[in-house]
Amino acid sequence: MSKESRMRASVNQKLTEMGERERLKELLRAKLTECGWKDQMKAHCKEVIKEKGLDHVTVEDLVVDITPKGRALVPDSVKKELLQRIRAFLAQHAT
Amino acid sequence: MKMEDMPLSGSDNTKLETLVHDIYSELVEDACLGLCFEVHRAVKQGYFFLDETDQESMKEFEIVDQPGLDIFGQVYNQWKNKECECPNCKRLIAASRFAPHLEKCLGMGRNSSRIANRRLATNNNMSKSESDQEDNDDLNDNDWSYGAEKKAKKRKSDKNQNSPRRSKSLKHKNGELGSTVSSETYKYTYNTGISYETLAPEEVRSLLTTQCGVISEHTKKMCTRPLLPDADAVEESDSFDIPDGQTLISHLQWEDSPDVSPTDSASSKASTNHSDSRKPKKKKRASLGLSSGGGASIGGSLTGGGSSSQSNIGLPAKKKRPKVPAPSISSIYDDLN
Repeated sequence: MSKESRMRASVNQKLTEMGERERLKELLRAKLTECGWKDQMKAHCKEVIKEKGLDHVTVEDLVVDITPKGRALVPDSVKKELLQRIRAFLAQHAT
Repeated sequence: MKMEDMPLSGSDNTKLETLVHDIYSELVEDACLGLCFEVHRAVKQGYFFLDETDQESMKEFEIVDQPGLDIFGQVYNQWKNKECECPNCKRLIAASRFAPHLEKCLGMGRNSSRIANRRLATNNNMSKSESDQEDNDDLNDNDWSYGAEKKAKKRKSDKNQNSPRRSKSLKHKNGELGSTVSSETYKYTYNTGISYETLAPEEVRSLLTTQCGVISEHTKKMCTRPLLPDADAVEESDSFDIPDGQTLISHLQWEDSPDVSPTDSASSKASTNHSDSRKPKKKKRASLGLSSGGGASIGGSLTGGGSSSQSNIGLPAKKKRPKVPAPSISSIYDDLN
């Protein structure tokens, strides 16, 4: 499906070039902090650290533990809004 | 890079949706990774657990959420109803008013000496009863806030017409006037029964050559606006449409000849037609002003000449007005006296 992969590549390129990717990143970060997701995740991190010991914690430990939980804990409203924006961007610039 | 045109079919739609979701997942993962790096750095640098201490202190400083208390657990209006005894005058003063009261009472604050001096001045001018002193003390307690001062002024307005406080606010307005005028002025400006008949003509003249002098109907106070030479627009000239009969007429008749065209006869009728065509609007106002001005003292002197000459006079009066404000004013009030 090279056509598709080409399309994906060009979409990604456009996202980055137009600065939309950065804007979306910032938007997501702000919304997650606002809704308390960040604090929730930090609390979870504390548990992991206490479990693994303060001195021996590695990035990998955290990533492995946090990422799936983080993905699940994103509130629906935030998810919907982001999807909306991405779709709008594609509709405007991809066809 | 140009995109290939893709018709939107069912499979394409799902492909698009998948793409959208993929982009979304990428963004979320980015956010999670960012958080992990942040936390890991905080752990390794040692500031991750800084907001936690032993359990006891945690309980002590817990956020309080009860009615009537702030989040620290303190009562915020605890001192509202308490009263303190002043060591100087032995009175019971409300807690929030205590500090300003002490200032005045002990004579140590910035304003206290000013107030004391003012009080002495008023006491010298008018004899005051014991009760007045006490009321003034309360008045002065509100000195520092302009709003309270205004309220206090209103309340005591019947009582204290000549209080220095009034002159103080007026002095600010009259800053640009000479001090002699203002020192005279504030003696007169807030007497409820000010009338020009009670003042000597010289005083009236000096007063009115520098200030407006109009007595307000509502407050019975004299307007202390300084006279500005060209302030009045030509439009608001109704007051000046009352020409002082003899002086102004003689002035204008002398100036009148240039207006009359050489071909016309020197009759006033011709010049009326001439001015008619030029400024119909002003002619109407002039005659209005003149007819209403007849009621003032000067009406009698205008009867000579008939209506046409009247309108003739009215129009040039407007042109000439900026040059002769002062003499006409004093001559108007000469007539009054």
